[in-house]
Amino acid sequence: MTRSIPKTRERRPLSFYILAAFFALFVLFLYGPMLTIFILSFQGENGGLTFPMNGFSFHWFGNLFERQAVGDFGGSFARSLKLGLIVMVVTVVVSFMAGLAFRRRFRGDSVIFYLAIASLIVPSILISLGIGLLFNIIEWQPQWFTSALGAHLTWTFPFGLLIMFAVFNRFDPSYEEAARDLGASNWQTIQYVVLPMVGPSLIGVAMFSFTLSYDEFARTLMTAGALNTLPLEIYGMTTNVTTPVLYALGTVTTGFSFVVIGIALGSVLLLRRRKGQKA
Amino acid sequence: MTIDMKKSAKNLATDTGVSRRGFVKGAAAVTGAAIGSGAITGFPTIWAQNIKNVTLRQFGTGVSNINAVADKVKEDLGFTLQMTALDSDAVAQRAVTQPNSFDIADIEYWICKKVFPAGTMQPMDTTKLKNYDAISKLFITGKLTPDSEIAQGTAPHTVGFVEGADSVEFASAPTQWMTLIPTIYNADTLGIRPDLIDRPIDSWADLLDPAFKGKASILNIPSIGIMDAAMVCEAMGEVSYGDKGNMTKEEIDKTIAVMIDAKKAGQFRAFWKSFDESVNLMASGEVVIQSMWSPAVAAVRSKGIACKYQPLKEGYRAWGGGIGLAKHLSGLELEAAYEYIDWYLSGWVGAYLNRQGYYSAAPATAQKFMSEDEWGFWMEGKAAQGDILSPDGKVMEKAGAVRDGGSYEERMGSVACWNSVMDENKHMIRKWNEFIAA
Amino acid sequence: MASDTSKRSSYFLISPMAAIFAIFLVIPLLTIVVVSFWDYDEYRILPDFIFENYSYLLGSSVTWKIYLNTLKYAALTWGFTLLIGFTVAYFLAFHVRSLTWQIVLFMVCTIPFWTSNIIRMISWIPFLGRNGLLNSALINLGIVDQPLEFLLFSDFAVVLADVHLYTLFMVVPIFNSMMRIDRSLIEAARDAGASGFETLKSVIVPLSKPGIAIGSIFVITVVMGDFITVRLMSGGQSASVGLQISNEIGLLQYPAAAASAVVLLITVLLIVTGLLRLVDIRKEL
Repeated sequence: MTRSIPKTRERRPLSFYILAAFFALFVLFLYGPMLTIFILSFQGENGGLTFPMNGFSFHWFGNLFERQAVGDFGGSFARSLKLGLIVMVVTVVVSFMAGLAFRRRFRGDSVIFYLAIASLIVPSILISLGIGLLFNIIEWQPQWFTSALGAHLTWTFPFGLLIMFAVFNRFDPSYEEAARDLGASNWQTIQYVVLPMVGPSLIGVAMFSFTLSYDEFARTLMTAGALNTLPLEIYGMTTNVTTPVLYALGTVTTGFSFVVIGIALGSVLLLRRRKGQKA
Repeated sequence: MTIDMKKSAKNLATDTGVSRRGFVKGAAAVTGAAIGSGAITGFPTIWAQNIKNVTLRQFGTGVSNINAVADKVKEDLGFTLQMTALDSDAVAQRAVTQPNSFDIADIEYWICKKVFPAGTMQPMDTTKLKNYDAISKLFITGKLTPDSEIAQGTAPHTVGFVEGADSVEFASAPTQWMTLIPTIYNADTLGIRPDLIDRPIDSWADLLDPAFKGKASILNIPSIGIMDAAMVCEAMGEVSYGDKGNMTKEEIDKTIAVMIDAKKAGQFRAFWKSFDESVNLMASGEVVIQSMWSPAVAAVRSKGIACKYQPLKEGYRAWGGGIGLAKHLSGLELEAAYEYIDWYLSGWVGAYLNRQGYYSAAPATAQKFMSEDEWGFWMEGKAAQGDILSPDGKVMEKAGAVRDGGSYEERMGSVACWNSVMDENKHMIRKWNEFIAA
Repeated sequence: MASDTSKRSSYFLISPMAAIFAIFLVIPLLTIVVVSFWDYDEYRILPDFIFENYSYLLGSSVTWKIYLNTLKYAALTWGFTLLIGFTVAYFLAFHVRSLTWQIVLFMVCTIPFWTSNIIRMISWIPFLGRNGLLNSALINLGIVDQPLEFLLFSDFAVVLADVHLYTLFMVVPIFNSMMRIDRSLIEAARDAGASGFETLKSVIVPLSKPGIAIGSIFVITVVMGDFITVRLMSGGQSASVGLQISNEIGLLQYPAAAASAVVLLITVLLIVTGLLRLVDIRKEL
């Protein structure tokens, strides 16, 4: 926010253009498979998941909102969305708390730190296997909101914690001291000083954890219980004839994400302009 | 931590059988149990009201976990059936390790051989099933007709019955207690792209013909893949088997050695594990010859791409699936499950499955729900009079078409072996992994 | 007193994370270790104390082949993600100057990840396949006259998909390290007459080391444990350690899977310990 657009534009060095081109290629690479998904989602009514195209239609977009022969997009999507949001909120809150805790040394801090690193490096399928076995042994029923939630959290916490480390290592404690000197309580200091400063990073943690959870397959495999999340459901659907409706789902997801991000960005820019006018 | 899955599953069943779904349903189950103990006919209205509250959770592969069935159940029987589709590994896994996550398991017979002894399921009392007699003899005695030979492998009747209500020992002859009610089965063979292959294919050995180098595929589910591999090796004359369904270590080693050589020579383009992969491989032209399932062939063909389910002189590899009850089911839910199973055999689903190219386990009841033309095409090997439609109304075959392999008797009558679990299963899987890693 | 309350508050703040790790990480891993010594048959795991699972695993030539193959994938993926990730992070950190734009560009990179990985994986087939987009384009442009077969169901395809999936995880930590570099250092280097390349070599790369280490740890471990990418992209023709474990789980051979898991875990821990030697992440984050 402190950075306003400079009046006189600095001339970009040549390396900028080369790197920008490289970045563009990278984005193109990321979207490469999306291109096939996009094209094939307009597959004709009798078309399949691969080329050749068999006509052109919007059939699969309509079909997306109908009931499938096998599987249930609506229910599993809602479940994945809910799970992703729960994971997101829990990760943000718990990582933030842990980040605060780690600003001081306490007994066992390195144990927790290495647990986080371990959690990051233990292959997902082992977490799945371990939790699945454990729940079986203690005779608990795996559910997406218990065992699968736990499995996902072991995945998102390390990221959250590492990001918090990065943030707090750079955080100048003199701001807080100043706040305390002015008579702010602990909670007020956090609310008015710390939170606004680490806010953008928390948004980063939120996005990261939602994305990781929403797309997680291996960790959910043995922990989801009776009801599937979206990735599991899609995988299950491939045991029968799947149709380009999967691609339509991809196209719609991407389009929808662009719209949401566009709106968010637009409103940020708008707010900023208003602020600028006021000042 | 004394953990034998069998034991813990039993505890689970007794501890949580009733209260699992909360108080309201628990109460319904208690009522149901009282009714179920003998006086059902006396209280039809209570029955009808309670059963509407029942939700049965079924899981299985996408092959037969079809939403249309759940709709029809709601319509005909009034209760809710919740379907979860999984791949075949996950099916076995869930049946054994999460015995409370399902009420009805839709599994294949070779999986049943592994799963049922774990004690997470309960056998069904055949005397409670009105349609029991409609079940094909193939699943009772193993013989399609009284004089046919029993094929090798895990034939369904060998794991179809247990000795008693609490037994997990498979019975050698039919008893009153059935492990799975058979629902679906088929005879599998190689699928080919006749437009990309210019010579007739008539033997399993053709899968490893160097002419198809880089264009062949086999399925990577060890218990099924090994059978296809054995059909191939036997046809090539490379290996001779005592019983393909229960190979010796030596036979397994030889079979895998042949497959590894072929793989190293670049014969295979890919291995497939899910139904859909086989469709995509074939439709995209990545593969021109591969082991395949019947509806996968139909799926390729419905995209306007030529694909043939080629009958072979050595015969078919057959598989069968059925539905079974979770151990924890009791009371009203158990009654509803019986109701559902009986209904499953009563013909509507059978016709639905037949129209997909599978076979119904109770052919006679299915016939009542099919047109004469449909019956003629799918079951009797006759040329179609009019267009043959898939269950969801798409044209699958034009008038004049004849089913690959012909009639039910021709196809199911020339089964060489069933999908199976062998005594040397552990060894076989290790060797199979060597093949995949080679 | 003051330090006492602050200590107490530290424990309070860390307790939720500690609890989750204890229940969903430590205990499950211990379960796996215990189960790895058990016996099994077709459908049951039998409590026991045997070394058969390990002796078979370590004695089999397949295991070594699989580990070699997995390490190959990990090394190749690591190399490519590092090169690409570093370059992209460099661009974002030093050439994109407004925070808003940095966020926007990160968003653009994230969006493909919201379409399920399974769907994206399936869509590589029509992209790279014999009759796929890429081959048709190459043939139409006259670059090749036969479709390139190695594009799909090959090691190439596996590494490509891995790089596609995990480069972003390299970008983020490196970007983070780069943002911490004091810009005046770079100006000082420039003022002292260092060329762009020299600045990169002697200022930026050393200072980005923590990010590179974190990114590397992540990419290597995730590729070591991956099974779904290898299965789908190699067309089931290659094996990896993760795939072996997932197969064993699928076949209900939990003790065998647990033994493989323990060995994999030890391998990964060794690699990571090696990487942590190079840099103290906790200090340099």
